[in-house]
This record gives sequence, C-alpha cells and structure tokens, in this order.
Amino acid sequence: MVRLTELEHDALVELFNIGVGQAASAMSEIVNETVTMSVPAISFLTRASAAKLLASRSTGNGRLCGISQHYSGAFETEAILMFPEEKSQEIVRLMVGEAMPLAELSAMEQEAMSEIGNILLNSCVGSLANLLGHELHGSLPDYHVGYGEEILAQAGSGETAVLMLHIEFVIERQQIAGDVAFIMDMTALHDLKQHVANFLDRSIGGAQP
Amino acid sequence: MKSSVESLPLLQGVIDCIDVGTLVLDANERVVLWNRWMDLHSGVLGAETLERSFFDLFPEQRGKRLEAAIGQALRSNLPSLLSQTLNRWPLPLYANKAAAEKGERMQQQITVTPLNLGNNERYCLIQVSDVTAAVQRENLLREQAVALRSQTLLDDLTGVANRRHFDMAIDRETRRARRMGTPLSLMMLDIDYFKAYNDHYGHQQGDACLEAVASALSTMQQRPADLFARYGGEEFAVILPDTPADAAVMMANAMCRKVRDLRIPHQASRTDERIVTISIGVAGSDNAGEVYELINAADRALYQAKACGRNRVHSI
Repeated sequence: MVRLTELEHDALVELFNIGVGQAASAMSEIVNETVTMSVPAISFLTRASAAKLLASRSTGNGRLCGISQHYSGAFETEAILMFPEEKSQEIVRLMVGEAMPLAELSAMEQEAMSEIGNILLNSCVGSLANLLGHELHGSLPDYHVGYGEEILAQAGSGETAVLMLHIEFVIERQQIAGDVAFIMDMTALHDLKQHVANFLDRSIGGAQP
Repeated sequence: MKSSVESLPLLQGVIDCIDVGTLVLDANERVVLWNRWMDLHSGVLGAETLERSFFDLFPEQRGKRLEAAIGQALRSNLPSLLSQTLNRWPLPLYANKAAAEKGERMQQQITVTPLNLGNNERYCLIQVSDVTAAVQRENLLREQAVALRSQTLLDDLTGVANRRHFDMAIDRETRRARRMGTPLSLMMLDIDYFKAYNDHYGHQQGDACLEAVASALSTMQQRPADLFARYGGEEFAVILPDTPADAAVMMANAMCRKVRDLRIPHQASRTDERIVTISIGVAGSDNAGEVYELINAADRALYQAKACGRNRVHSI
C-alpha cells in the first residue's frame, strides 16, 4: 500500500479539515445550531482492511448507513460517508429535531441523511480538487444500508485502494464519529500521492526532506 | 440529430412535458430555461423570467443553502441535494391557486446539477420535485408510531404521561425552544403533606387521591404539545411549550384552586381547611438553557413554595 511521509499526511489532513470546516458551517446554518467537524486522521488501506476497520467501529447490529457519490474528472473515485446504522437516527434527531421511532430511517429521513452526506462529500472533494488543481464532477448522492464490505463493494470488485478519513462531528455537544472512504484504483492512488508531493513542493518550495 | 436551430424549441417542448420543476441558469445565475411546471406552480411565466437573475425572482434565497448550492454547481462543478426535511419550503411554489392564496407552500425536494457544454460554458440545472404526498404519508406513519408508543408511555395508576414520556418530551421541547427561540415553561408540583395523608388514610386511599388530583389537573392543558406527567410518587410535572413564565404562573394558580375546589378531606394536613392542596414551582427556559437546569430551577421553585407555607405557587 502507498505510504505517505509524515509531511504529506499532515498536509492532507489539514486540507480536509479546511474542507469539512466549510461543510460544518453550512450545516450549522441549516440546523441553527453550532455543528463542528474535524478530520483527526487519514489512512490508505486495502479494501479488505477498510472493511475490517469499519466493522470494528460498529457497536450495534454491525450495519452501516452509507451515502455515496461518484466523482470523475482528474481522477475517478467513489466517495462514501458511513455511520453505524444506530447513529444515523441520532444524527437525524440532532439535525431535524426529532426522529421517527422506527428501526430504520424513513424515506424523508434518508433524504436528509443524503443531504448531510452531499454537503460533507462535496466539501472533501472540493479540498481534493484544490489539491489537484482540477475540478471533479460528481453524481447526486445515493443512500444505502448494509455491512461495511457490501457498501464498499458498490465501487466494483477490482483491485482498489481506499483513502479513509475519520470524521468527528459535534452537534449540540454530542459527539458522533463517521468515516469517509474514497475508493480508487491503484493508478489514481499513485496520482494522488504525486499530487500531494507536488502540492507540498508548490506551497513550501520543496523544503521536504 | 436536429440542427441547433430546431433543437432549442424541441428542448423547450420536452422540458415543458416533464412533471418536475425544471430550470437552467447560466454562469451569471440568469434564467435561460424555465418549464411549464414552474409557470404553473410559481405563478411566474417563463417569458417573464428569461435572462432575469434567479435571485431577482427569489430574493429570499440569497445567503441561503440554495445560493450556496448554485454557486457550488457553477463554480466548482459539484451537484447538491436539498432535502425537504432540512430545507422547509425554500421556494414560493404552490400546488394550485387556492394554496397560493392561502400561502401554503408545496413541500419541495431540490437538486442542483452542474451542466458543462463543450465550449467551456457553465450552466446549472435546478430540478424541483413536489414531495407533499410523501411528507403527508410520513406524518401519518409518525402519528401511528407515536400512538403505538404512547401505550407504553402512560402511568399505570393515574393514566397520565409517565416519567419516560416526560423525559422524552422535555428533551424534545427544550431543543425545539432553543432552535425556534420560543419560551418554554416547566412546572413541578406535589401534593402537600402526602406522606401524612398515606399514613392517616392508608395507601389505597392515597392512590385514589393521586388519581383524583391527576385527573382534575390533566384536563387543564389545552394544547397538544402541553404535557402533564407523573414525575414520581406524589410529584407531577407540566411542560408548557411556547409559554412564558408569567402565563405559566397564572395557569399554576388556577391548578392550585382546582385542587382546593375538589375539597378532598385531609385530616392530617396542617393547612387551615384540612383539605388536600398542592404546591407548584414554575421555571422558564429563559433562565435555563439545558434540560437539567430547567428541571433544577423548577425543583428549587417547588422547594420555595413549600418553604413559604405550601398551597401556593412560586416561580424562578
């Protein structure tokens, strides 16, 4: 798997934090509450280890709810925001004020989750586009529920790598964690690493060791 | 493929047949396409919109999520979804003339998608779906789910809301009050010298007294969101959304009178009339932002009412 230097890792984390910061202020505006979001860590994983990591996050029935968008352009990726299923109801309750007391989200609640995913994924992809110096264009969000590997498998079964962002939300002083996966093929992954290196060269004049 | 001269009327013809609000903005946010659905539901005809800025037509959307979504489509090439749940009634669209006259907006779901033509021209497509039927269906579902749940939310003895119901409601109402900036009042009340009542008359009559007081008081809250609940033992609580503390105090005084008017004998009471009375503490959300602060404030007020001689209302 591709390894980033510490500097490259930190640069990407900072870039994503700027992106999700904008998403958080957009969400604060919608719900009239302070929403904060941060990306404490990122990692490059194989799809199998990404699925394993996602499984370890779940505390309930092991299922996740995922909101995905496909992006293409400078490079191609399936971006998916995932929460443990039992947390999705809590997010809806915090964002909307109340949630339907049902085991699964209702259609309207799923749509609200899709919008939350849309705001967040667009902001992360906006950060990536800045890094690449090229726009990406994307599809509208889709909502899925399933186990981690099922959700990740939507992107096909070829040899793929996953860039995982761990995301922490704070809404009304309640903390909820989720993950964003960017699924891409190996070429895209190497391209991305190259772009990170170029970005660092541009921004700090190649002071990288 | 038709020539470009013919394809524009064809395109207009097609979007006019589509049963979804459809409009296209150019890079300067001016309307370049507008379908019949939009004519029908906005009351603005396509001919009047041509080349006009979207925000001249819908000025209240400036600075809102829709403006951000349009900007993101035109400038960053990214699509957006505006859900009905998180964006209530963004555009002044109406199901029909009667709804427009009453000002009842349609429930909307909006998508904003960037459109790129080969020659670097950037447009965005806005699609508006009417989701009123889905929203109504879900409201019905919600009511049924809540009704089902309420069967486990009632106090066995008195038939009023139980503590679990109270906990859920106070949480929901403090959130709502904070979000909407509306006042919320909470009353905590209990029956004066109730332990002495139980000791004197026995527990069965104690239960009957609780039932009588609960049934007299629980009919006094008129609005659906008001909640009268048994908090525990001889303690009750009343949640009054959209009610400032002074209005709650008036209601509390009426509740004290109502219990006195029951004239339930209470030989062990130390009040002059030897009847069952209650004390009430009232707190308003303006001096408490969090649930526990509001409950604490109402509790303190109740303690004060007791300390000042019972059979009275005290507010904080």
